[in-house]
Formats: sequence, C-alpha cells, structure tokens
Amino acid sequence: GDSWGIFTFLCAALCNLPALPALNCSEELGAGQSIQQTYDLTRYLEHQLRTLAGTYLNYLGPPFNEPDFNPPRLARAERVPSATVDLDLWRGLTDNARLAANYRAYSRLLCYLRVLDGQVGTAELRHRLAHFCASLQGLVLSIGGVMSSLGYPLPAGPAGPSAPPGAPAAPNDFLKKMDDFWLLKELQTWLWRSAKDFNRLKKKVPPAVVTLRLEARGF
Amino acid sequence: VSPAADPAVISPQDPTLLIGSSLVATCTLSPDFPLKAEDLYWTLNGRRLPAASYSALGPSTLSVALARLNGSRQQSGDNLVCHSRDGGILAGSCLYVGLPPEKPVNITCWSKNMKDLTCKWAPGTEGETFLHTNYTLKYKRRWYGQDNTCQEYHTAGTYSCHIPKDLALFTPYEIWVEASNRLGVAVSDVVMLDILDVVTTDPPSDVHVSRVGDLEDQLSVRWSSPPALKDFLFQAKYQIQYRVEDSSEWKVVDDVGNQTSCRLAGLRPGTVYFVQVRCNPFSIYGSKKAGIWSDWSNPTAASTPRSERVAGGCDPKGGEQNTTLRRELKQFFGWVKKHAYGCSNLGIKLYDQWRVWLQKSHKTRGLAQP
Repeated sequence: GDSWGIFTFLCAALCNLPALPALNCSEELGAGQSIQQTYDLTRYLEHQLRTLAGTYLNYLGPPFNEPDFNPPRLARAERVPSATVDLDLWRGLTDNARLAANYRAYSRLLCYLRVLDGQVGTAELRHRLAHFCASLQGLVLSIGGVMSSLGYPLPAGPAGPSAPPGAPAAPNDFLKKMDDFWLLKELQTWLWRSAKDFNRLKKKVPPAVVTLRLEARGF
Repeated sequence: VSPAADPAVISPQDPTLLIGSSLVATCTLSPDFPLKAEDLYWTLNGRRLPAASYSALGPSTLSVALARLNGSRQQSGDNLVCHSRDGGILAGSCLYVGLPPEKPVNITCWSKNMKDLTCKWAPGTEGETFLHTNYTLKYKRRWYGQDNTCQEYHTAGTYSCHIPKDLALFTPYEIWVEASNRLGVAVSDVVMLDILDVVTTDPPSDVHVSRVGDLEDQLSVRWSSPPALKDFLFQAKYQIQYRVEDSSEWKVVDDVGNQTSCRLAGLRPGTVYFVQVRCNPFSIYGSKKAGIWSDWSNPTAASTPRSERVAGGCDPKGGEQNTTLRRELKQFFGWVKKHAYGCSNLGIKLYDQWRVWLQKSHKTRGLAQP
C-alpha cells in the first residue's frame, strides 16, 4: 500500500543524492536499479493520482467529475507537451530523447500543480496536493538521476517553483476549471506512458551484478 | 482545429449571488461560429435545464432564467454551461450562491509557558455559507499598538491560529476574528485578555509510580515539575488520575497542591494501575489566579503487591496442589520407566494402572485424594 510506495519513493530520492562516501558502487548498479525504481515510482504516482483526481474533480463539481466528461481543448497556449505521440515515433526515440521528454514533461507538470496548490479551497485537497507534489518532485529527481548515471545532460528548463512563462492564466473561473481538468488528464496519460517508457529502458539497461567495495578501515 | 476566439460568451461570467435570488444568463455565440440560438441548450451542474426557461434574445443569443437559487453544490461554484445541440461545450460560468458569513464565536486562547498564544474559535451559528470563507485572527495591545494579523492557521483544529512570538506580558490584548467570503465580512466580538491569565504548561515529567513496601492497597506517585516553570515565579498545583488496567473509569485526586509526590490509597491488591498527572501553573507572579491545566502526562503503570497470607487472595491449597501434582508426575514417569519394559507404549491401560497404584499409596500415606 502507501507505506511501500513511500519507501520506494525515498529509495529513489536517496539513490540520487551525491554518492555515499563509504560505499564504492559500480556505475551499472546506478542506472539499472534507478530505472527500476523510477518505474516503481511512476506506478505509485499513478495510484496516488487516482485518489487525488477523484477528490479534485468532485471539488470542481459535475460535469467535471462525470466519467464520460470530454470537453474541447480550447485553443489556448499548449501548456504541457502532450504524452500522446505517434507509435513509430515513440518506438524510434533514443534513450536520451525518451528520458528527456519525461523529465521536461514532469518538471512542467510539477510547476502547474504547485500553482494549483496555492489556489484550492479545502484543507483536505491542499494536503493531498502537497503530498502528490512531493512525490512528483521525487520522480523528477529520479529521472534526472537515471540520465546522469547514463551520462546524458539534463534538459534546461523551468526548475523553480514559479509558474513557467508563456502560460497565460485562464480568463474566467470556468475556463480555469477546464484547465485543471486537462492538467490532471495529461498527468494521468504521462504516467501511463512513462511506465511503458521505463519498461523499455529496463530491457536496454539491465541491472548489473552488484560490486560493492567497502573501505575496510576498522569497521 | 478550434477557432482562435472562444465559441461563445456567457453573461454574467462567474457571478456571486445570495441564496434565493434569481438570475437570467445569456449565451452569445461568436460571429464566426456556424450555430444559431435554437441549436443551444443549458445545463447546471451536469443536469439539463428545461427548455421552458429558455428565451432567444436574437439569432445568436439564448437566455435562461433561474429562479430561487439554492446554495452552491460545491465551493468552487455551480457549473452553468452553454452547449451546442450535439452536447459540445461552448462556454461556462461558475455561479457562487451562498450567504455572507456569521460572526465567529467562542474565541478561547491559551499560552504555552507565556511564550506564545494559540486561539481557537467557532464559525457563526448558521455554519454553512456554501462559499469558501476565510478566517483571519487579529490582535493588538489595548490602548496602543497597531493591528497584527495571525499567520499560522490550523495548528489546533480547522478554526485556530498560533502566534509564536513578540507578545508582551502585563498588558491586555484585544483579540478578534474576521470571517470573509464573496458576499461579505463578519467580525467577532473582541476578547480581551492578559497573556498571564491563560497560561498553561507542559505535563509533569519523570512520573514514577512505585509500591509502598509490602502495602497492597497503596502506590506512591512521584514526578518532577515541568522544567519550563522554574524560570517563572509560578506555583503549580497538580491533579492525578488513575484507573485499573481493564477499566475506562478514571479516579481523580484533586487536592494535590504544590507537592511533587502523592500516595494513592484504598487500592485493590495485585492489580495493575495506570496513572497520569497534570499541572496547572497558578499564582503567576503572585496573582492567585488559576491558569489552564496542562495535558495529562503519558500513563505510567504499576501494580499493587499481592499478599500470600490473605484468604480469598491466592489460594494456598492451589499452591500445594501444584507441588503435589508435580511430585505425582515425577513419580508416574519413574514408575513408567520401571514397568514399561522396552516399549514406551503409554496407553490408557497403563495410566489407569498408575492411578490405581497412586490411590493405594495415598491411602498408605494418609494424604487427601487428589
């Protein structure tokens, strides 16, 4: 349940701290294990999102919380790169491009969610959002860790807590509700897609044999 | 590919209304949209509104009349939506229908060791305003000083706030709560207090409960006064509560005064008791006024001794019976070893034989039948 997920998340976060001084891990351990942990984290977030989305959509009220709700995406500036992509294009992505797409998407999604956090009404919703944002931050760190361990540079982009530029605020409350709906939908789609992305990466970078050389100095 | 402009515009956009009021809303199609007024319909919170309440105000404008509105279904606003015939959403407006807030009431405050102030309150009697209502706790020193606003909310429940520092002693404070929502503002009555009047402290530390020698109806309780108190000229009074392990009824010892030990008497022998102590800092700077009771200390457990000699306590016969049984078992296995040649077949016949032998030997020894 939740405690398993939190443990996984913490492991993912810890794995990406600067190398622990006492251990001397091999590089492959970093990449292989990190990919598995990132995969696990996306599954955990997917589970958490179901509860968060349910609560949030109920707060927005019908028709937003109806199962078949499918509003138009009005032509406003595209906020988040869409997760949906041509199948052949997706298959042909290099590891770097695949990871970078995930990293960029979640960084932006995190920014938007944080803005949401400052605006919602009920205390329960704020609490759930804060928890989710913390987990999502862990995912971004985890993906960054995988990229570093494979030698890829991190994509430049909005890293701060402020809302990214080029995203105008909705002109009225109803359009804002639509934006929130689509944000949650996009988040859901990305998490589905990421599970497949990381599954694919897992097969290309298998976890190597663990070689730990502990400095035996009076231990 | 959707057009650059929104397909339609609703008026009024996101209005705020009093419960029971009526509203006429219009949906005006954008000029380059190929629909007409008769192609539109309205929904409110997902439910279609009756066509009888519609009225075409022009070729591309449809209005709807809503009467005697109820309070909003959700605090984010009721969703009034203008649809095209095939169900597509053209525009929407959030209706905020509710009541202005009532005056917050029952403001109570307490200070932990004179270092801070926490206050809680209750919303006005109506309670449900259907709109998101913001509460702000304000305070100022009486006669001078400006208004200050409390920043840390929800520290002791939903309607609470914590002021962590910069509080003066020996001066009365005026405290009040402002409630505001889209429909108005309400201010509570002002509460006046001196920090010294509402002081509470930590529960006593190092609570130890021990037996009093062999006395089976008494326990001795010892504790230390909370460390924070020693900085101030407090006296403290204490209260003890205790209960038997499997009961939920607490007995309270009230008149403990300023000591740091107390003896509980009239207890049941051989019973486990849970004991808690709490503290009230009073006579702050000699004022003789009571403060606010602290939380109870964590429960400490201890048991009263059980006497061996009191009848009805431990059964002496039972004890003797136990040793008799052990002796008999030893004898039995010894006998078995001797008589069960080679095979360890402890059948029921063998056991019966042993019982018979036992009775015979008891008769010879003059012991009571087991």
